[in-house]
Amino acid sequence: MIFDMKMIVRNELISVALGLMIVLGSAQATDNPPSAWTNDLSALPAQAWNAERAAHLLERAGFGGTPKEVDRLAQMTPTQAVKSLVRYQNIPDKFTPFQDSGSHDAGLEPFAASRPAATDLAKAKGESLGVKVKPDGNRRAQQVADRYLYWLRASRLETHRLGYWWANRMLTTPRPFQEKMTLFWHGHFATTEEKVRDYRKLRIQNEVLRQHATARFRDLMVAVAKDPAMLAFLDAGVNLKGAPNENFAREIMELFTMGVGNYTEQDIKEAARAFTGWNYQGLTFVINPSQHDDGMKTVLNQTGRLTGEQVIDILMAQPVTADYMAGKLYRYFVREDLSPTMQKQLGQLLRDSGYDIAAFMETVLLSKDFYSSESVATRIKPPVELLISTYKKMELQAVPGIPDFNEQSALLGQKLFYPPNVAGWANGRSWITPGLLLARGNVIYDTVYPPINFVAPDRVANGLYQIEPVADKLSQGLDVTTSTKPEGKSMGEMSMSNQGDRDEDFNTRLASYHAWRKAIEKVKPIERATAQLQVSQLLRQAKCKTTDDAVAHLAQRFLSVKLPSTVQTQIADMLSQDLGTRNLQEADSYMEDALRNALHVILSLPVYQLG
Amino acid sequence: MHHDTLHRRQFLQALAGMGMGATLPLGHTAQAADSNRILVVVELTGANDGFNTLVPYTDDAYYRLRPQLGIRANRLRKIDDLYGFNPGMAGFERLFKEGQMAVVHGCGYDNPSYSHFTSAAYWHTGVPNGGEPYGWLGRLADAIDPQLTPNFLVNIDERQSLAVRAAKHVPVVFDDPERFSRKGLYQSRPLIDKGLGGFDASGNMSQQFLEEVAQSARQASEQVRAAWNQYKTPVDYGILSMDLPKVAAMIHAQLPTRIYHTAYRHNAFDTHVHQAELHQRLLTYVSDGVSGFMQDMKRIGRDKDVTVMVYSEFGRRPAENTSLGTDHGTANHVYLIGQPIKGGHYGQAPSLTNLNAEGNVLHTTDFRRVYATVMQSWMGANSQALLNGPFDTLPVFA
Repeated sequence: MIFDMKMIVRNELISVALGLMIVLGSAQATDNPPSAWTNDLSALPAQAWNAERAAHLLERAGFGGTPKEVDRLAQMTPTQAVKSLVRYQNIPDKFTPFQDSGSHDAGLEPFAASRPAATDLAKAKGESLGVKVKPDGNRRAQQVADRYLYWLRASRLETHRLGYWWANRMLTTPRPFQEKMTLFWHGHFATTEEKVRDYRKLRIQNEVLRQHATARFRDLMVAVAKDPAMLAFLDAGVNLKGAPNENFAREIMELFTMGVGNYTEQDIKEAARAFTGWNYQGLTFVINPSQHDDGMKTVLNQTGRLTGEQVIDILMAQPVTADYMAGKLYRYFVREDLSPTMQKQLGQLLRDSGYDIAAFMETVLLSKDFYSSESVATRIKPPVELLISTYKKMELQAVPGIPDFNEQSALLGQKLFYPPNVAGWANGRSWITPGLLLARGNVIYDTVYPPINFVAPDRVANGLYQIEPVADKLSQGLDVTTSTKPEGKSMGEMSMSNQGDRDEDFNTRLASYHAWRKAIEKVKPIERATAQLQVSQLLRQAKCKTTDDAVAHLAQRFLSVKLPSTVQTQIADMLSQDLGTRNLQEADSYMEDALRNALHVILSLPVYQLG
Repeated sequence: MHHDTLHRRQFLQALAGMGMGATLPLGHTAQAADSNRILVVVELTGANDGFNTLVPYTDDAYYRLRPQLGIRANRLRKIDDLYGFNPGMAGFERLFKEGQMAVVHGCGYDNPSYSHFTSAAYWHTGVPNGGEPYGWLGRLADAIDPQLTPNFLVNIDERQSLAVRAAKHVPVVFDDPERFSRKGLYQSRPLIDKGLGGFDASGNMSQQFLEEVAQSARQASEQVRAAWNQYKTPVDYGILSMDLPKVAAMIHAQLPTRIYHTAYRHNAFDTHVHQAELHQRLLTYVSDGVSGFMQDMKRIGRDKDVTVMVYSEFGRRPAENTSLGTDHGTANHVYLIGQPIKGGHYGQAPSLTNLNAEGNVLHTTDFRRVYATVMQSWMGANSQALLNGPFDTLPVFA
């Protein structure tokens, strides 16, 4: 019965596909992969290669592909195809480096731990964050409070620009696997602007991850351990000889290398000592010899005057580290469920390669297991990948500025440079809840029908920090105390106690307004254009003649799961009714809006989350 | 307001047209007689410092271990001769003094994990040092609601908590009720609202999972949004209310939800460095949020039906660290709050002088006793079956 159904679907598809062949090249109905492929790490035979498998490879090793890109890969042998993605070093990558706005200046260093720390220092020393306290008058330390908040706002805005920059790089790179691995490492070495509060460090970390994306894991681990963003994130500044802080030592074992349960609390305490004195100065890694504990330590049964690098070498020598990392890579790139036997086998593979990520991934991406039915179209795309692959398949040349990419991806649970905690994003099914599934469809809606009331969040504070009323009242000539009075319920009490301008060291609500004004003055705006989408053009290129062709083409282009013919018919019927005809040529001059509606319906299907 | 009711009516008409109207429970009236009771679980993520939340101000050891961070007795909100709440916690002080708060001391488990994620998973599943795929609230829902009432189990968060993962129930998980709806043009509604069937998901577990969640989303979104739009409260929940106003809105709208899980998110309580001011601020938000919620329940006449439980994945080390913060600890308080609660102290406060090798306190109450108590004494479930063993309940319910 099921077999018969498939035959019917296939026959229909073949007849539809004839028209698509020209563009899709070797597109063909795939034979179901034999069940013996599951858990088989040997290479896929060349004769099993086809467009569908090439599309699967592009989904996982990159951000999906256009029909043209899929076709290019399908023309190769599977070995060549995998190599062309994984061994990207010879592909020129001329992506323009991130352009700073110049919002940072030397006076901001060292940046205070908190606003009270900044203003207390100003009180004690007469100066803080590069500005002096006024010799006399009211709010003598106002400029210090302003400066503190300025940098928080500016760094946040720059981080949003950095997010855009990276998203655009993902979309247009000729080396998609490098960006995909960089994204994987961002989740693995999850570091957030929320705590680092310095986009410059995150930009450097992003480059470190990109440079070492497929390098030996040991080299990457050492580079990350010395990376200013990571040092700031895991409190290196307070990991001192005689007073070790365990934060980094715990996370390097629990999350970065071995996984929980493979070490003792004592191992953490001892390892923390090996990393004492590791810190950064400005944006450079330093070891402060007077803060470094060079005494004897025992970590995982190895004793010596261990340095941080030596501890990392000890971690790399643990068989569980290879198992843990191999399992994590496999779960991210292939599938969530992984038997203990398979994990051991993959761990062995990674260990034997000397932790060579490129070699390991090459084997995995070429394996029969990777193309087995357990693996294909079973991965729930993380939000950033969902968005980038959507834009890619829409053949957009730039990430849309409207709606805001960072806001959209955050809404779906993932924002670049803002992982939720040190464990990174949980992935898999955790991306989907009833609320998030609806939101995924709505993000598509807002891409095909961009909001007309869009307000750029990097220009307009829009309720944020409650500064608009302050700016408003100051412009009316009101004094600072009156202008910064909280609005709403507590207004009555406040106005009873406060008459006229108060005497104070500084006013934080005034600082908040000043900080925002200065931040948007300094930080360059994000370009705001809606998606330059032309669904009609995609269908003309594919030589679609009927509304049925159109739906079939869009489904094939965007979905990893076959659209049942009944569903295709329902969507095509809706589209025909919208257009007043089943013939696309008749509707050619006006079909864009209706096609976008059909596209929204297709991309709202629960299966669109799969890749 | 008019606008919202119209939407709701249209929705109901649409359901009736689909033959679903009769099976969709819209209020708690359809439920069995004793099923008005609601459990609201609030998680303080990142491990709240219990010692600076409820301070044992007569214990010299506390001040010895915390020369910088210890809060002096004259700054505390004293509740009796032994304990005082953090100065920021006016709401908790009042709830305790009104007899609406049970403090369960020393909650923890053997072989404590110092990993946030591992320990949170132990608390979420109710199975420490073991593997269990489902959450304790998910198992509770499956046990007490075998008919799988839609919207029975609600989790307000960005992500689904392991605590609500269930074998049978699909928890309703959402963050912003305003956004808990599907956009789409008129002509596409028939296709996107009822879902397009015909996919063969056999053999693709991810696809099956997506179809189930889509079904749950269709059932829940309209009702949650209507509940939120119809809800207006004069009660002040403070600055960061841990989504409790959303819970109140759903209770107000008489949705059939009996189990809610919310969180103070993003590991906020992980106060390793310079914690004093920050921690007090966090506690103020918690205290204002919870006491606001209790007031709101009283306002809408549901205070007899609601119990709130506040917990953290572990506590913090009693000794302060050298960065004016505190590191990962073990046992902590659990707070049970509500009109049905017999207020007071339960369990033994752990000793601050008899510490383990890591300098942490030894737990005195297995946290599963608290679970057993709310499961059995409040929600009427057989806790032994759900917790894989007998755990003595605490006499906190009057």
